[in-house]
Parts: sequence; structure tokens; C-alpha cells
Amino acid sequence: MKQTKLLNILAKVKSFPSMPEAAAKLLKLLDNPDATAAQIEQILRYDAGLTANLLKLTNSVYFGLPCKVGSVTQAVVLLGWKKLIQLVMASCVNAVMGKPVPGYDLPAGELWRHSIAVSVAAEGLAKELKVSASEEIFTAALLHDVGKLVLGGFVKEDLEKIETEASRGISFEVAEHMVLGTDHTEVGAQILKNWSFPPALVNAVRWHHDPDSAGKTDTLVDIVHVANILCLMIGIGVGREGLCYKPSPLATKRLGLRTNDLEMVASWTLQYVDDLCDVFGS
Amino acid sequence: MRYVVVVADMKVGKKEDSIVTYALGSCLGLTVYDPVAQVGGMLHAMLPLSKINPQKAKANPFMFVDTGVPKLFKEVYRMGGQKARLVVKAAGCGQPLGKNEMFKIGDRNYTILKKLLWKNGILLNAKDIGGTGGRTVYFDLSTGRTIISSKGLESEL
Ligand SMILES: [Fe+2]
Ligand SMILES: [Fe+2]
Repeated sequence: MKQTKLLNILAKVKSFPSMPEAAAKLLKLLDNPDATAAQIEQILRYDAGLTANLLKLTNSVYFGLPCKVGSVTQAVVLLGWKKLIQLVMASCVNAVMGKPVPGYDLPAGELWRHSIAVSVAAEGLAKELKVSASEEIFTAALLHDVGKLVLGGFVKEDLEKIETEASRGISFEVAEHMVLGTDHTEVGAQILKNWSFPPALVNAVRWHHDPDSAGKTDTLVDIVHVANILCLMIGIGVGREGLCYKPSPLATKRLGLRTNDLEMVASWTLQYVDDLCDVFGS
Repeated sequence: MRYVVVVADMKVGKKEDSIVTYALGSCLGLTVYDPVAQVGGMLHAMLPLSKINPQKAKANPFMFVDTGVPKLFKEVYRMGGQKARLVVKAAGCGQPLGKNEMFKIGDRNYTILKKLLWKNGILLNAKDIGGTGGRTVYFDLSTGRTIISSKGLESEL
């Protein structure tokens, strides 16, 4: 029974939409030290919608740039091209992540808002804690729950069983695993692997609820872990399962996190989330 | 009118209005109602103390319990509510699993609320506080009824 379920889930993962072409090409550039602004522009040239979104994002209050940016070249200069690629990724996954998610009972747009919020909170935490996390932090946070898009339907079917398990005080993704044979972190990691995403990103998605099991410790994983719980606490993307997740005491210790840091980041996150979501008209 | 209170927000209304707030996690949802004047209001505050970010508190006092609660009462008084008649109910202040002190923002939100009410001689008439459930609160200003929906179940507060 559980075996059939798992096979069904894996089949759904396989048929999940592939990465938009422009994003896949740009991602390859990330590993290329000789990449140039011209190359980025070349790729974006064929996608006017994407370019427009990218420039709107770049001009959002969040980045606080001193002047209006009107071209991709200018954006590369002001933000750096690694950052810029992260923003293109955001534009690319907007459509997929904006869908309603059954099982977790997230209305249309709410997973997207949650994802943007975790990105903003993660970058905020890294800054507040003065830890260096890779440029990939924004994308890792943005995609951490992508697995929910596939798993949601299956969670809905077995919601009663999963909630019974979770009501015994275990974390919701552990309950998912007990009933379905997998959970939204495994599913999400598999999707990113199929998209040929860099291992660091796959890792962050895979362990965002259980950073202590990540093999070797990774600030990126710890930060996404904490940022996710913080955003749920402040009510962004809280679904049916509520706050049924467990913060890792070791991760907070590794980060040197204090209550003040959490509250400080929370107080800034809200406005930036609204600001960034406005760019996408959601 | 049907008002929606978002995170770090407050709305007041009168007879025939209703107010709703979605997705309370560790935030505090507070309703205040005068059954005679049939006026009331709802606050959705995120963090306990404004001293963490005074700049934000100035721009939006409803982000914090210590600045948002007094403002909510003030607004309800302005609408004709009288202190002696007020019915006050609190919901939310949840927390994730485990005992990690750092993540007890919900707990601290509730503590600050209790302090404020106690200092002003106001009693809490009902509460649905803590736990891991997310909560949505519906507040009917004709009747003062407060309905909480959590994990797919509805109950009256
Ligand atoms: Fe998750
Ligand atoms: Fe999440």
C-alpha cells in the first residue's frame, strides 16, 4: 500500500514541469567564472516578460538602489550578476509557486508569499548574525517548500492519518514520512535534482526541517531552517499544519542566534515581502 | 462592511460589520466588543515589545502588543465603547514544537498582553492561546460572537 503510494508520488515528481529554459541556462552561468553581463543579456533578450519582471524586481524598495535601473547591464553592475541570477530564478518560478496547495490548505499565492518571506528573512538573518552564507541563499529559501506542490494532493488524501501521527507531538514532515513513505523535503530535493540545480541548493531544500541530519553542517541550511519557522510564526504561509515543526536547538546555537535577532528580522520582513509581492501583482 | 485584518494591523467596526483575521501563528489576535453600543475592534500584533524596533513601531504601532493594544482600546472608545462594558477575547500566541526559548514569541506576546490588561484593570473574558495550531478568527459585530477556525474545526470563543 505504502509502496504504491510512494511510486505514485515519484511518478508525479517525474512529470513535474521542467525548469524554464532561460533559468536553466542562467544557472549554468553561475558555475562559470568567466560569465559576463553580455551573456546574461543575450539569454534574457528572448524573453521580454522575464526581463520586465527582472527590472521591476531590481527597482523594488527591497534592494534600495540609489537610482532607477533601466537595463539588464545596469542591473548587473549595481547588484552583481550572481544576485541578478537569483532574481531571474524568482521570476521564473513565480508561476509554479503561486498555485494553491491542497493538503496544506494554502490558497493561491500563499506558498509564493511564504517563499518570498523566507528568502527575505533568510537574507535578513544572515545580515543580522553577520554570517557569510552563499549568494544562493535567496533561491534556496525561495524553493524550500517546492515539494509541497507535488505532495499536497497526497497529503490531502491521507490527511486524517497524517494528523493523527502529528498529534502525538512529532513534526509534520515526520508524520508525512510515516504515512506516505516520503515527505515534502525529499520530494522538493528530487525536483531540484531533476532541474540539475547545484548540490548546495538541493541540500538546503532536503534538510530545511532537519538541519542536524545534513551530513556536514551548512550555514545555508541552518539559516533557511530558522527563517522558515520564523515566517510561519508571523503568519506568512501558515497552513493546515500550523506550527507543527520543530526548530533545531543545535542550528540556533551554531548560528549564535538570540531572541532579539529573530524579532528584529521579523519586524523588517513584513514590509519587504509586501513590496516584493507587489512586483508580481499578487 | 467585512474587514480583513492582516498581520500587524487593526480594524474597528459597528453593528452589521464583521472582521476577520487569517493565519495567526505566534501572533496575538485580540478582539474588544461593547455589546450595548455594538461596536468593537480586532488587533493582529506580531511581536511583544516595540523597543526592538522603535522606528517600525512609530510607522505601524499594530506590529507590537505593547503599542497596538492601547491603540485598539482607544479606537473602540472613540467609536462609543465604554470600558466597563467591554468584552475582551484573545487568540493565537502559538509556538512551534520543542522547548526552545528563542521561539516563544507567542508566549511573550501573551505575557505582555496580560500585563497591560492587569495594569488597566481589564479582564480577559475568553482565550484560545498557545499550541501549534494556526488560527483564523471571525468576529461578528452585530452579536459579538467570535468564531475560531483551526485545523479544519470551528469553535466559538
Ligand atoms: Fe517545509
Ligand atoms: Fe516553509
